[in-house]
Amino acid sequence: MSSEDSLPKHPGADSSDSVVAFADALLAKTPRDPGREGVEVRQYVTFFLRDHEIGLPILQCREILRTSVITRVPEAPQQVRGIVNLRGRIVPVVDTRACLGFEPSPITARSRLLVVEVAARQFALVVDRISRIVKLMKSEIDVAPADLAVPYAVGVARLGGSTIVVTDAERILHGGIVSPSSSGRGEPA
Amino acid sequence: MEDLFASLVKDFVDETEPLVQKASALVLKLEQASGEATKPLVRSLRGELHTLKGNSAMMGFTPIEKVAHRLEDVCAEMAAEGSAERRAQIQLLLDGCDLLLALIHSALGGGVDPAAAEPFLQRSPQPGANVPGAEPSLAGADVPAPSAPPVTAAVTENDESRGSTRIADDDIDGLLELAGETIVGQIDLTRVHSRLARGRFEPSDIALMDQILLALGRTSRDMRHRLLRLRLAPIAMLFRRFERFVRDLGHERGQTIELAIQGGETAVDRAIISRLYEPLVHIVRNAVAHGVELAPERASSGKPQNAKILLAARLREGRVHVSVADDGRGLDLAAIAAKAKAQGIDSANLSERDVQRLIFQAGLSTASSVSKLAGRGVGLDVVASVVQGLGGSIDVRSTSGRGTMFVLDLPVTVSLQKALIFGVDSETFAIPTGFVVDTLPNREKDLQAINRVLLCSWRGDFVRATDAGRLLGCQGLAEAWARPYAIVMQAGNKRGALLVDWLSGVQEIVVKPLDETFAGCTMIAGATVLAQGRVVPILDCLDVVRRISAALLPEAPEANATEASDDVF
Repeated sequence: MSSEDSLPKHPGADSSDSVVAFADALLAKTPRDPGREGVEVRQYVTFFLRDHEIGLPILQCREILRTSVITRVPEAPQQVRGIVNLRGRIVPVVDTRACLGFEPSPITARSRLLVVEVAARQFALVVDRISRIVKLMKSEIDVAPADLAVPYAVGVARLGGSTIVVTDAERILHGGIVSPSSSGRGEPA
Repeated sequence: MEDLFASLVKDFVDETEPLVQKASALVLKLEQASGEATKPLVRSLRGELHTLKGNSAMMGFTPIEKVAHRLEDVCAEMAAEGSAERRAQIQLLLDGCDLLLALIHSALGGGVDPAAAEPFLQRSPQPGANVPGAEPSLAGADVPAPSAPPVTAAVTENDESRGSTRIADDDIDGLLELAGETIVGQIDLTRVHSRLARGRFEPSDIALMDQILLALGRTSRDMRHRLLRLRLAPIAMLFRRFERFVRDLGHERGQTIELAIQGGETAVDRAIISRLYEPLVHIVRNAVAHGVELAPERASSGKPQNAKILLAARLREGRVHVSVADDGRGLDLAAIAAKAKAQGIDSANLSERDVQRLIFQAGLSTASSVSKLAGRGVGLDVVASVVQGLGGSIDVRSTSGRGTMFVLDLPVTVSLQKALIFGVDSETFAIPTGFVVDTLPNREKDLQAINRVLLCSWRGDFVRATDAGRLLGCQGLAEAWARPYAIVMQAGNKRGALLVDWLSGVQEIVVKPLDETFAGCTMIAGATVLAQGRVVPILDCLDVVRRISAALLPEAPEANATEASDDVF
């Protein structure tokens, strides 16, 4: 804590407001600490859709399942394939390809269900195959270049010879499944 | 931070709501009590109000604090029993409790409006001093109409969305023990499994596995049973809300109506309790409007001056029977028959019981004038469909001059229901049996298409029918005519037949809710898991029957059939 001397002086003991101000200042200080931002390391689960490797924060991922029989629900949104039973909990199965604008593809032996949790709701994302778990520093994630500027990308990371499109579950589910309000995030205008 | 505050508000509401309800019940008792008996009542009332005041002050809900404080003041200066001033004070206390509940609920919806309490606080500038007219006038009250408790909507909505339950530590310990048992069972099985996998089978292993499976089965059933029990609450929670309601209904008509409660300790699913309030309000209101006679009429037919309404609950064969009875004049069969005739229903050949049941049809209200209480001709049909939606049924019994009794036959829990399983094309669905009136073989000669409307003949009548595969969007080519079975359903007063490929027996299913992703799928009420983990959607019969009665055959190949039948007419 090298920046301690720049904090407000010890507050007057009589005023509780100044204690609050003091605490606020302390809290506000921590994340803005320069030089730390790029060091933050996060883990991502990556999967393939066609030849695109896409990464989701591991904190949003609950488990990976082999595909089982998916029950269709009449009149469900077009990006939803149906429902599966996850240890007694009924979870929507999301056609990730449809959500991200890829051409449809049948489920194969390598297809998996990647179960994610968003705002206490669980979704099973159908992916072509699961790839790996990677660690990425914030500084390693760049703004998507024009040829990869897909609307769902948070950024891209180059790892060895491959390119990973970094995104999050809210962005994938955004099209008609999770509304911007319930994901707690505004729509990029 | 916001989440923390929201959870504090939730706790606040959970804690204070029962306080106000208790206070409200105390005021009602106070109204009846006299002499020494009133003192402990006033004391506990002040206690409840004081706690509420403290809790609200802590949360910064000043309007609630102020109202509670004002009511405390009123308690401190209760006027002499029997005086008009006393009656006004009682009314003020009751209205104050209503307002408190409304304010508490508004805290959930984002905050308490500081202005909301002002009219009330101004209405009683000095407690006991000058309440206008000194007459307990309900119409003059500045709070929402007291006869329809303002909390209605808030409570029913929030009970479901909040969905929290207090659990005793003992219950949690018991469940943890059971969970531990299942893990022990799993370890035992793993041991046997690894022996078998290495090809070292011992004859005693079969007996050992039998034993483990038996224990696991017992443990998991016990665990589910205990968990289900956690969802239950005494139905008195629901019944007590009617004490005030019945009193106000009586006062509006200038008479005293007593409410009797039986079987309040009967345990019922909280979800049922919260959804049963509206239907019961309707039935009780009807009982007063149509059944209970005014004092002179009661006197001339030799009945006690005070009318009586009974709310009762009891368990019967694993279901709950909730009844609402009054000691009024009974159903007016002649009037019902006349109304039915005006609607084109001939009741001449119906039994007395069936004529009585006509009141569940839409548009049949026998109140001769439209009053505030009843007579709008909507209601009992809606009540019937709500009850069906809970997996129950409703019936009425009435004896002329003696009274009327409504009986609601309900499941103890909504998460367990009996359902009929059917299949169409390659898909499987479940229908709660409460909606199924009949299943029959579908023969082509029983189907008839008139102007693209498909009709199925059933018990000498015609029921609108539709192909289940087409309605539910299944991938199949079969036509309505080719389906081997018809399921006749009734929801409210509407009937409809679904034409399906196969039926399997009725079975008990665990109803699981669907994610809000499926909010637009109005034909589906939830899902259940059958043997081998197969997930099956449960139909929402209210919507399915509505769709059947609007469904038309497609223009194309059936056009010939339409023309053919046009020729006949």
